[in-house]
Amino acid sequence: MSILHLVRKSAFETADFELCVNTLSSSDQLVLLDDGCYNLHHSLINSVKGNVKVIQSHAQARAITVNTKSQFITMDVLIELTFKHNSVVTWQ
Amino acid sequence: MNDIEHTANLGSSENDSSKSVAIINSKAPYSSSMGKDALDVALIFGSYEQDVSLFFHGDGVYQLIGKQNSMLIQLKDYLKTFSAFEFYDLETIYVCQKSLEDRCLTDRNFHIDNAVVLNTKAFSEKLHQHNIIFRF
Repeated sequence: MSILHLVRKSAFETADFELCVNTLSSSDQLVLLDDGCYNLHHSLINSVKGNVKVIQSHAQARAITVNTKSQFITMDVLIELTFKHNSVVTWQ
Repeated sequence: MNDIEHTANLGSSENDSSKSVAIINSKAPYSSSMGKDALDVALIFGSYEQDVSLFFHGDGVYQLIGKQNSMLIQLKDYLKTFSAFEFYDLETIYVCQKSLEDRCLTDRNFHIDNAVVLNTKAFSEKLHQHNIIFRF
């Protein structure tokens, strides 16, 4: 059973991202949106195995750059992802 | 030192009893209205010629980062108004170095020029020099 994790808060502000990272399994997908995009440059991101998807407009609005383990996606792709996984957890 | 006394002094910057105001920004720019609210308060104090200093720490430092574009998420860009600070005599802007380091923002690519980066101790000392503190 795979889970789609949506992270919407900065890890510098709340513990949500830390809880999410601790919950991730190898079949899960992590998506960063809104202030969650800031987590791309948080040290916790190194604990994430597999690739991280980031909503492009949300990251670019905040002048956040992607690194090698992350990938920009659009909202349309996010909707497709909700169908690919068994359940969705929003961390906010 | 109470709010009523402070309000009474608003119009008279020459008054000896005029108080210095610190506004602390600790939230990222777009997911809440806190940053915009802090800006509005700063500009109001500025237009009454009050002695105002701006402090940025925690996620508030994200408000200073250059090349942001809130139009991509359909929001008005209130950060552009930061460039009006000098017209409101808002010339003291302090930024917490620790907060920048924690967020890998040490290249100091700010969209305003006169921000002064201070270590935790100096940041605290500057804050303590103010009579009234608002935190957003």
